[in-house]
Amino acid sequence: MDRIVEAYIGEYASGKSENAVNRAVALKKAGHDVTLVDLDLVEPVYTLRPLKAMLTDMGINVIAWTTEETLGLGEAGSVLHPAMRWALRNKGDVILDIGYGARGSSILNLLEGVEDEKNFRVILVVNTLRPMTDTVEKIVEYHNESGPAHGLIANTHMGDDTELSQIIQGYEIVKKVSQKLEIPVDALAVDERFADAFPNGTWDHGVPVRVLKRFLPMGFW
Amino acid sequence: MATKPIEKDTHAFVTGNEVVAWAALAADAQIMYGYPITPQNEIMHYWTRLAPKYDRKFLQTEDELSAGFTTCGGVLTGTRSFTATAGPGTILMQEPITMAEMMRIPIVVVVQQRGGPSTATVIYSQQEARMCCYGGNGEGFRVVYSSSSHQDLYDFTIKAFNTAWKYRFPTIVLGDGYQAKMREAVTMYDPASRGISMVETEQFLGAPGLPGTDREPHFHKNTYNTEEELLEVVNKLKEDYDAVRAEIEEHECEYIDDAEIVIVGHGVVSRAVKEAVKLLRKEGYKAGYFRPITLRPFPGTALRKAVEGKKDIVVVESALGQLKQFMTEELYGCTVPITGYFKPGKGVSSAEIVEKVKSMTK
Amino acid sequence: MAIEMNNVAPPMPACWRKETKTHKFCPGCGHGIVLKALGEAVDELGIQEKVIFSVDIGCCLLAIDFFNMDTVQTHHGRTNAVASGVKRATPDKICIAYMGDGGGYAIGSQHLLNAAARNEKITSILVNNTNYGMTGGQMAPTTLPGQKTETSPYGRSVEQQGSPTHGPEMLAAMLPEGAYVARGTVANPKQLKKYLKKALQAQINGTGFSFVEALSTCPTNWSTNAAKTWDFLENQMAVEFPVGEYKVPQEGGNE
Repeated sequence: MDRIVEAYIGEYASGKSENAVNRAVALKKAGHDVTLVDLDLVEPVYTLRPLKAMLTDMGINVIAWTTEETLGLGEAGSVLHPAMRWALRNKGDVILDIGYGARGSSILNLLEGVEDEKNFRVILVVNTLRPMTDTVEKIVEYHNESGPAHGLIANTHMGDDTELSQIIQGYEIVKKVSQKLEIPVDALAVDERFADAFPNGTWDHGVPVRVLKRFLPMGFW
Repeated sequence: MATKPIEKDTHAFVTGNEVVAWAALAADAQIMYGYPITPQNEIMHYWTRLAPKYDRKFLQTEDELSAGFTTCGGVLTGTRSFTATAGPGTILMQEPITMAEMMRIPIVVVVQQRGGPSTATVIYSQQEARMCCYGGNGEGFRVVYSSSSHQDLYDFTIKAFNTAWKYRFPTIVLGDGYQAKMREAVTMYDPASRGISMVETEQFLGAPGLPGTDREPHFHKNTYNTEEELLEVVNKLKEDYDAVRAEIEEHECEYIDDAEIVIVGHGVVSRAVKEAVKLLRKEGYKAGYFRPITLRPFPGTALRKAVEGKKDIVVVESALGQLKQFMTEELYGCTVPITGYFKPGKGVSSAEIVEKVKSMTK
Repeated sequence: MAIEMNNVAPPMPACWRKETKTHKFCPGCGHGIVLKALGEAVDELGIQEKVIFSVDIGCCLLAIDFFNMDTVQTHHGRTNAVASGVKRATPDKICIAYMGDGGGYAIGSQHLLNAAARNEKITSILVNNTNYGMTGGQMAPTTLPGQKTETSPYGRSVEQQGSPTHGPEMLAAMLPEGAYVARGTVANPKQLKKYLKKALQAQINGTGFSFVEALSTCPTNWSTNAAKTWDFLENQMAVEFPVGEYKVPQEGGNE
């Protein structure tokens, strides 16, 4: 079987990191070798840094800065870790968490060997309750500016205030985007609180439901 | 092109900086001037993404001095203008803020506090409270709203424009790096839908008519020939400020009536205080909660009323007693002891506050 | 033959504010000549109603109520910033920033350079009198080598304090086509007026940033009589600071 190489892109606070972390954990549990890379260049080290030790203990190869390695975490210091540039040279699956920003997926140009990676998938994570991506038109525009993506993840939520109906409405919007852009919905992502609502593990004729455990609140500084 | 950025109520999942950009759009701000500094950057990021869609403008300046002075320039033309900054940028911003104070230029400044003085520690901090209230070489005739949530950031950013233009004092919305980056739900609305009309702006420079013929020219200065002249101006400023301060002052309190101990905090820390008071109440402790919303003018009368006859006051801050200093001044003569729980540049949890109060009542 | 005084009263530019004349500058100061040239340029271009005038701190502050034009005093060095803010908010206004050499080349140099770098459509006028006039005659960025001031009492040492700042040369090197840069002198008011007019025209046409440095006189702090004042301006300053146009929009043609 070919290895899985996925880059998660999307609007700021769309849930890219949460989806990337959960994906890495799931692949690890399924017995894969997994490398998880923090490629947030606008706001480096906010996201995966606090979780690095925990994920490493799970057996995931995490490429992210640690506090000791840098000067001035938070805003200053080096941004691109050399290991990030060579991340695709790791064996096994590689999951890339791409930060938001005007550069969009062009950040992927920083990865050595990206053009030779035949299974490379760029996945656009969409929370339709984020104001910049709350309509089909806005999401298509966002995709055209920051993509292109190979797949979509419907990740609509309102944090602690999420309701199931919002998740479903968000999915419907993402589905329309999928039809318009002619790229598949890779998954519907839901918080574990809503796992019971999707007993088959799929939705809408076979779209996989990814049940997310919220790791980031644990690491949010 | 949409004319109104927010037409109907929008319940959304957002970050704090983003909320500020949306609120400024909803408040009909026409131009933002700014210089990059963490943790306020996304205010500019979102403003620059959104502004062209609603015919608004942005100017990236060479530093915060320029950001503040260009904002003064924009406001003088009668254009609702704002800037945002943090940390060392707030220091540079003091100079334009003092010009705005003395010339009554209604600028709006959003400050997302960061820990320091330092670079890189950009998350928790309430260390800029004193500077935002009194940081100029003058008496601090300005208004400072301390926000504690995304809803506050939205509400107070809109309100700041109205306070500034109504009373003509520079107005600061004080947040912090945590609020800036935090994600939570907020309801964004068109101010008109809440009965809020934006205060008309005034063209201090460049009004219609040929100056000297159709009307007198406008000369704006804070130059005074004599100390007496300056004294008169400052006294008049104080008089104007005192006349409206009661209208501007805002606070929030809960469980005060039968409280024995009043816990005080502002900004994001007040959320931990509020939570702690609820936890303490559950355990039978008679704790009360007080949060000054305006730090300048400080709601001193309300605070005095809230703490009168109580056993203890605890003030909690991500700073080393800046809020306590404001309180001490307001509570002069009050004999209720004030205990500080200070963590400059660090966050405070409700559990710590509960612990602190329990240790005091042992 | 007796001369009736009202027949020889010098004509004032129409945009001058008569109520505030005579002006507040020292006798022999060059500001009056610069402001007269500016007033005539404004009159000839017919832009009085559209001008927003901003003045820096220093002697230029005395121009706060000089014109029948809306005017704002800024803080020391911040005039280019305020004028940029005004222009961005109301692009139809003609924004003139008026400052001295300390305000433009020292405390506000970042604002001058960055306003130019952004090619702000404003007109920046800098009066160079080789010292800080209002604060008592200290050394300025433009003080000549060897010139004595209150903070260079033994004369400016190039070794210690560097060479005088050459603003127009510097700005002309960084500005794109369409911008206008010149150095005039109060010794040649007609030429100065022409430069100011072309600078304002560049703003009106929206072709770029415009900057005019005016060599000026400060007999009070130079402690010079009329002849020595003139000598210093003409034979020393003009040697260090060559007068002329440094950048002219192509359609305007070179001198």
